[in-house]
Amino acid sequence: MSAFINGSGSYLPEGIVTNEEIAARLGVDPEQIFKSSGIRRRRWAPSGTTTSSLAAAALRLAVEDADLNIDQIDYLLFGTMTPDRLIPGSAPAIQSALGLREVPCLDIRAACCNALYALDLARALVLTGSATNVAVCLAEVQSPFLDLSNEAGTLSMLFGDGAAALIVSNQPSVSASADHPNLEIIDILLATNGHYVDDLGIRCPGTEFGTASTHPAAEHLADYAPRMNGQSVILQASRRMVSAGRSLLERNQLTAKDVRWLVPHQANANLLAQVARGLELAQPECEVVSVLEDLGNTSSASMGIALDSLRRTKKIKPDDYLLLPAFAAGFTWGAALCRGL
Amino acid sequence: MALPQSIVDYLIENAQNSGTAAPLDGEDLFKSGVLDSFALVDFVTLLEEHCVIKVPDADINPANFQTIDAIEAYVTAHRG
Repeated sequence: MSAFINGSGSYLPEGIVTNEEIAARLGVDPEQIFKSSGIRRRRWAPSGTTTSSLAAAALRLAVEDADLNIDQIDYLLFGTMTPDRLIPGSAPAIQSALGLREVPCLDIRAACCNALYALDLARALVLTGSATNVAVCLAEVQSPFLDLSNEAGTLSMLFGDGAAALIVSNQPSVSASADHPNLEIIDILLATNGHYVDDLGIRCPGTEFGTASTHPAAEHLADYAPRMNGQSVILQASRRMVSAGRSLLERNQLTAKDVRWLVPHQANANLLAQVARGLELAQPECEVVSVLEDLGNTSSASMGIALDSLRRTKKIKPDDYLLLPAFAAGFTWGAALCRGL
Repeated sequence: MALPQSIVDYLIENAQNSGTAAPLDGEDLFKSGVLDSFALVDFVTLLEEHCVIKVPDADINPANFQTIDAIEAYVTAHRG
């Protein structure tokens, strides 16, 4: 028994926002944005765009890529930090938009590790026989939440909107070919340390710091905006992504030299370089997949978009190992190990 | 204790790359630009190798490596 990624898709809003367009507003230099993050442009969705609509568009492409009928999806997982509504989750909106059967639909809230958590759950569902074809949707519309003032410039410059979807099944797809192979999910490692809960995230609305009904939101704007202790995030992410990747390889009797593709959460180009260096990957044999320059950090969606972009290059060969490390608010972190079939 | 020359050389090289003078013992390495968050990760790896210590993830905190004095104190406290 195993679990397979048989299809992928991604969908990006058309609006491209360059560093030059936002630099003056954010009080930063366009070239400095690129130098500190590796990002030159990002996509921002038009006002009023729902996150579920991007996810639905990506899922439509993934189902087609897996050569499935939409009725064959029997479980839907949705990872996002920017849901359509506070309640209910946004997975039901995707189900409704695509006309899926009345299958279980669940939102996941593990921030930039949503792809790993969703893959872990999808794998468990198909391995236990609870589901046959799980739709993993990952999407963000972050642009409406960004503080575009000078004070928040170094954070807001990073984020983009976008969506990805993956189909996880209990059998490899019959339509797979040597230059477009299925991926077997070999193993996934996840870990959490809640001590760092305040170093990355958004405090409000919530029961800990209140809501607009318990205090005037206008007086607590900082609590409603993304906050990040950059040093803590970078230091912990650099170490944890590397240690997760190493542990995962080790427990599968592999080494960094066996990895053909590194498909990390797309947070920051400097961080990706640091993780690749820390893992001591055999370069140039191992390629680091990055879509950061054109798309920025699309949080939940980033790893799925990067994986879909790699699959569509048709460069993954049978027996290629893919390592997918991520780090997220919480802090939570981990890695997935896949292999081309 | 004095830090190994390789550690001192790393800090001096970083200072040169950021256009500042070689750091003094009590000088804030982050404010002077000798270290930043990314450089600190490499620096800690170097410390582990050359000072034969293990820096736990929870200790990867700029406060522990703010100055050369602080680094020396950390290494002394963690050497077996």
